[in-house]
Amino acid sequence: MMMPTKTTRLIQLWLVSFSVTLISACGSTDEGDKQTSGPDFNMAYPPSAGGTMVDAMTGEPSGLIAMIAGESAASAIAGNIFNSLLKYDKNLDLSGELAQSWDVSSDQRTITFHLKPNLKWADHQPLTSADVMFTWLKVTDENTRTPYGSDFKLVSKAETPDAQTFKVTYAAPYAPALDTWAGLHILPKHLLKDQDINNSAFARNPVGSHYYKLTEWKNGQYLKLSRNKNASQGQAKIDHLLSRIIPDKAAQFLELSADNIDSMGLNPIQYARIFPSRADLTKNIGLYKELGNSYSYMGFNLKRKPFDDVRVRQAINYAIDKQEIIDGVLLGLGEPVASPYKPGTRWSNPSLKPYPYNPSKARALLREAGYADTDGDGILDKDGKPFSFEILTNQNKEREMTAVLIQRRLKEVGIEVNIRVLEWASFLGRFIKPKQFDAVILGWSLSLDPDQYGIWHSSQQAPGQFNFISYNNPQADKLLEAGRLELNPEKRMQIYHAFSKILLDDSPVIYLSAGYGLSAIHKRVKGISNPAPAAGIGHNTYEWHIPKAYYRNEMNDQ
Amino acid sequence: MKMLRQNPLTLLGLAIIVSILLLALIAPLIVPYDPNAIDVKAILLAPSKLHMMGTDGLGRDVFSRMLYGARISLMVGFVAVGIATFIGILLGAIAGFYRGWVDTLIMRIVDVMLSIPTFFLILAVIAFLSPSIWNIMVVIGLTSWMGITRLVRAEFLSLRNREFVLAAQALGAKDFRLIFCHLLPNSLTPIIVSSVLGIASAVLVESGLSFLGLGVQAPQASWGNILTDGKEYIQFAWWLSLFPGLAILLTVLGYNLLGDGLRDAYNPRSHQH
Repeated sequence: MMMPTKTTRLIQLWLVSFSVTLISACGSTDEGDKQTSGPDFNMAYPPSAGGTMVDAMTGEPSGLIAMIAGESAASAIAGNIFNSLLKYDKNLDLSGELAQSWDVSSDQRTITFHLKPNLKWADHQPLTSADVMFTWLKVTDENTRTPYGSDFKLVSKAETPDAQTFKVTYAAPYAPALDTWAGLHILPKHLLKDQDINNSAFARNPVGSHYYKLTEWKNGQYLKLSRNKNASQGQAKIDHLLSRIIPDKAAQFLELSADNIDSMGLNPIQYARIFPSRADLTKNIGLYKELGNSYSYMGFNLKRKPFDDVRVRQAINYAIDKQEIIDGVLLGLGEPVASPYKPGTRWSNPSLKPYPYNPSKARALLREAGYADTDGDGILDKDGKPFSFEILTNQNKEREMTAVLIQRRLKEVGIEVNIRVLEWASFLGRFIKPKQFDAVILGWSLSLDPDQYGIWHSSQQAPGQFNFISYNNPQADKLLEAGRLELNPEKRMQIYHAFSKILLDDSPVIYLSAGYGLSAIHKRVKGISNPAPAAGIGHNTYEWHIPKAYYRNEMNDQ
Repeated sequence: MKMLRQNPLTLLGLAIIVSILLLALIAPLIVPYDPNAIDVKAILLAPSKLHMMGTDGLGRDVFSRMLYGARISLMVGFVAVGIATFIGILLGAIAGFYRGWVDTLIMRIVDVMLSIPTFFLILAVIAFLSPSIWNIMVVIGLTSWMGITRLVRAEFLSLRNREFVLAAQALGAKDFRLIFCHLLPNSLTPIIVSSVLGIASAVLVESGLSFLGLGVQAPQASWGNILTDGKEYIQFAWWLSLFPGLAILLTVLGYNLLGDGLRDAYNPRSHQH
């Protein structure tokens, strides 16, 4: 069946916009405070193996089979345990992980993966193409409760000519295919073949092939990973990764201050206000920021008047001061965006500029659309009805503050805005799915592939699908369809640049900002790339190391 | 009134209430800033001469928001209790006056209502209606009339067979006249006491709802949502949590002191000491 793809990966990421990914160092090398009482963590040491790194996460994984668990906490841990066939390298180009190489047939429908020789699972069993086949069968199995199946159901035929070779054939060329194989963790057939994958004990006791294996899981407290001696990608430096479950960001911050954890994601206030005011923190802890893969936006219900009028949408776009939102809500820790692609990447069209803040242009466009303040109450009206609408958003401080800023700016051009903040489940169930809204403030987190068919294509408007704003533009549809069939990166880029241009002119959503991912990592951890490459600071965690002199009293910690 | 004056705590309660009411009333005249004026260049400033209670996450003046918040909080208190008192008196009077199956029916409804955890009922209802100040007042009112119903009923039951009532009835007074001209005026004391205490709990409920984001909606200020805004920054922007917290505390304390004092003053059994 031809299911819309990619979309499944998007929904779980949706919630975690403003999530933290580690990247590009800045200001972590300042030599300011010299009167140190504790050890000086700024010294350089040659790489050595050993040590424990402690980090914090807000949620506990439900299990470590990522395709079943679905939540970001599970993916974060499982990413250290399982391999995929392919991976993104530090420049965000695809390279082999379990696969040594891969060939695409001339008709672009068949991909042949050649596995590396002598791959082993952590339990010493050989890892072969049969495991890859098994994983594909599981992810496409109707009985497997996974949201990730649709991409892989496009494979019409999968074969294993020999133990090192895995071959998939698609019914039609599918450009995002390689990206999907970079996201699928390969599971061990010999442990899972007789199990119900949905409720397997394996999810809490996984065996993988990556740098680490799970050695301890204390419910509600922590997960401990230790180095996997059979790792397919060589050996990591740090011996143990301890992920503590601390649901509250403020509590995490206290633990960081007390030197009980080595790294955590920060919010803008912690990064820009608290950190600089605390010499004890800046001395020992490095701050990092990176542009994340998400952006926030205000989307219109295009089925409702007056948002079906492009002039109205553009007017609202001109009336909103995006820089003010970045300064006020993100404390300057974000960038304006003009397309649904990460700025600075190949897919982002560099010639597009965000709508500038220009209230007089907004007023002119509204006048053109037939709005005037005929009764002198300060609110524009048309056909006797005042221009008033409701912005919905979920309980997310940053989005609520954004809504208040927008409310103020729109009032200045004569549009009355009401704000309604909702709990997530009822927001989705009662308003988004049945399309009962005027406008929403939300975020999209995106995968590295530019295919956004699920979000913008006119065929994706059914309840529960992602084009809930009902965007419908035949030209954009055509480009989205073409982008999925085009495997040539250059041509594909042109397609998505053209698509972004249409989207910006149409203004079905107003791009508000792309926030930085902010993180703090203790300076005892060395080997962090500075500056970080495109893939971010986390691209080489296997090279991070902790000098012996800096070991904390690890046994006492837990 | 003499009893009131003899009790310094009651006077303190009264003083607190009156001064907060006064401040709320003249808020537009004394606020230094527009409570909704955003200034992204003055985010989270500590209290200073310029901003008595500092500024919040959007650079709004907390003192101005507190004053306007007082209006909201107090209005919610009064209107909600007004609704509750009205319903309470009506049902209590019917139950106490007519007795019999009407009484049984109303009292069972009261029992049912009392057995539902009110705050969660309110949460559920607000989640369905849109959260707005009017909805909140109505919902709090509709879920807090049971105490007054019981009080009024009890008073009516005991007054119903007193001589002055029987006399009035013998003179041909209609039910309506009996209820509103004879029975009700003689039951007012406990109703007033209970209402005053009710305002305190209504203020608390509103703050709680706003704290959970289901109360008064942005950009309108209420003490509850200033408090919830401050939650995020509690580690270093203490002023966002302290001032609204204190205001809620003082108001609730004030009403409780006043209510307790009134009860003692009108309770014949507490006259001895």
